[in-house]
Amino acid sequence: MAAADANNEPLLVVEDYEVGFRTERGLARAVDKVSFELDRGETLGIVGESGSGKSVLNRGIMGLVSSNRMIEDGSVLFDGGQMVNRNRQEFWGAKIGMIFQDPMTSLNPVMKIGKQIFEPLRQHLGLDKGEAETRAIELLTQVGIPEPARRIKQYPHELSGGMRQRVMIAIALAAEPEMLIADEPTTALDVTVQKYILDLLRQLQLDRGMAMTLITHDLGVARGRTDNVMVMYGGRVMEHAPTDTIFAEMRHPYTEALLASVPSLKHAKHTRLTPIPGAPPDIVNPPPGCRFSPRCKYAQPKCTEQAPELNEGEHRYACFYPVGTDASAEALEKNMAQGHTATGLKIGLAPAKAAG
Amino acid sequence: MMILLLIAVSMLTFAAMSFLGDPLFNILGPVAGDTENPENLAKIEAAKEQYYLDKPLPERYARWAGDFVTGDFGVQFSTDGQPPVSGLLKERLPRTLQLMLMAQFLALAIAIPWGVVTASRANGVVDRASTFTSFMFVSLPNFALAVILFYIFALKLDWLPDTYHATDPFWGLTHRHRLVQLVLPAFTLALPGASVYQRLLRTDLITTLQEDFILMARAKGVPKWRVLFRHALRPSMFSVITIFGINAGALIGGALVVEIYFRIPGVGTAIVEAVLREDFPVVLALVMVIATAFVVLNFIVDVFYTFLDPRVRR
Repeated sequence: MAAADANNEPLLVVEDYEVGFRTERGLARAVDKVSFELDRGETLGIVGESGSGKSVLNRGIMGLVSSNRMIEDGSVLFDGGQMVNRNRQEFWGAKIGMIFQDPMTSLNPVMKIGKQIFEPLRQHLGLDKGEAETRAIELLTQVGIPEPARRIKQYPHELSGGMRQRVMIAIALAAEPEMLIADEPTTALDVTVQKYILDLLRQLQLDRGMAMTLITHDLGVARGRTDNVMVMYGGRVMEHAPTDTIFAEMRHPYTEALLASVPSLKHAKHTRLTPIPGAPPDIVNPPPGCRFSPRCKYAQPKCTEQAPELNEGEHRYACFYPVGTDASAEALEKNMAQGHTATGLKIGLAPAKAAG
Repeated sequence: MMILLLIAVSMLTFAAMSFLGDPLFNILGPVAGDTENPENLAKIEAAKEQYYLDKPLPERYARWAGDFVTGDFGVQFSTDGQPPVSGLLKERLPRTLQLMLMAQFLALAIAIPWGVVTASRANGVVDRASTFTSFMFVSLPNFALAVILFYIFALKLDWLPDTYHATDPFWGLTHRHRLVQLVLPAFTLALPGASVYQRLLRTDLITTLQEDFILMARAKGVPKWRVLFRHALRPSMFSVITIFGINAGALIGGALVVEIYFRIPGVGTAIVEAVLREDFPVVLALVMVIATAFVVLNFIVDVFYTFLDPRVRR
């Protein structure tokens, strides 16, 4: 943990945080009783499929969900101050910066780059136009944009995707926030550009001692660039551990499945990727018991009857049959023998899979 | 393209007018029907020659077009032919342009804040009330609106003068100045226009407000009003500007009811008079003025697009 700051209180303390949306079919629980802490200077990777609630969690915390159908509950303390159910505008840009997925659509197409960077500088730091320009050029240099003085007079469409993402990072960091939310910052970018952006983010985060949540659907992105990883599924936390631990001894079958479904350089060539069977859960009517059970190869009757609680400690996970334990090995063996899991998922025909 | 359009419009009008009626009656009066009397017949022949009425249609068109492009709009088809068509235009056109400009300015001045407020609270109480109001202004015929505004602001409150006097000076802020006299008619035209612009702006703004860059602007701490006016408004103006250009052209010829009701002798009334009299050169000249206005305004709108969105620039 990177809690090297003088103040040892975590920057962000989230407890039983819930975000729901009133829909015609009922309440959609996008975030369901999520608890975690984020230390000053820590980078937390928040990983999950689409609809896992990872984005809503972050936008909810920031108070940026602009829907009157949203309801939230629980507690989010930022620097000791309660954020839930109040206007959080004072945090935007000033204390929490945010960068978005698509740099193509997230910059105002009809406003010059410079003006878009000046705004937070003038708003939060009270700089005048000349000071803001000097600072903007410094910021653009920091994020690795060549010829910054020329760039500030250009429009977003005159820059490449990677450049635009750098501009977005510069904007988010302009007012020196204590925390940065990076919502899938590289998903829309070329693979060749992704690495540079991710490494840049990590570098800036370390240099500034800023806390960061890095939201991604790709576990590989979190590898080596985060201190901790939190895996979410169906609005709930499935596993939360230091990054090295997650990769070395993952406990949750969902984490395992997630890692097996994306290519990695560590795999041998032509390794077959294993897709996760089924679809993400319906958050209006979630499956009974463990939300992952319908797609889990270890699922046992117990998994459909009650939802496993997250255990306490540094390595948290919510599973009755954690990967890498005898319990899961037995469970898998049993399922293989009968050809299906307790939820009816057919298994055994797929190429041999070792438990754990 | 635009020149081609003007030529097409002029040809159609020229042909249509030529098939209608006999201009000789306008020029000569009842004499034109009396071909028995040799004295009258001579007058008829002379008039025909003077106005080229004995020539075939293409030749007459070519002569008219040649004169038109050099600024000679010909004479009115009336017994004395006075004033010449250009004189009539010089007198009527500025009034209509003043009215149109004021109406359009008011319409935008009303529509922009109105559209922004309603879009920012879409489907709220204010928005619902405004939907009712805007549909009311659009569905209310302008002669009815003119009467209502006239009754309230001129008769009851006496804030604004009730009629227009072509001889009064323009600039000034009393009832004896035409600038003030134009306010009521301009509002009569502006309110339905503003309602339409507001509807368009509201719809486009609601779409723009869903954009990622709006969320980004909010996330970096830009205050709400600034997000609306600085970030969202400009990319949401395209529909409004397009309809604005078309509307401006239409108002030059189409402000007829308002011109008549408020006694403004402008282009609208001139057209009606000319059509009823079958005063062919006047109609033609006015049609050309309106068509040119359309073309020029839409050119300006096109230029404005590039100002609104730098991506249009090539």
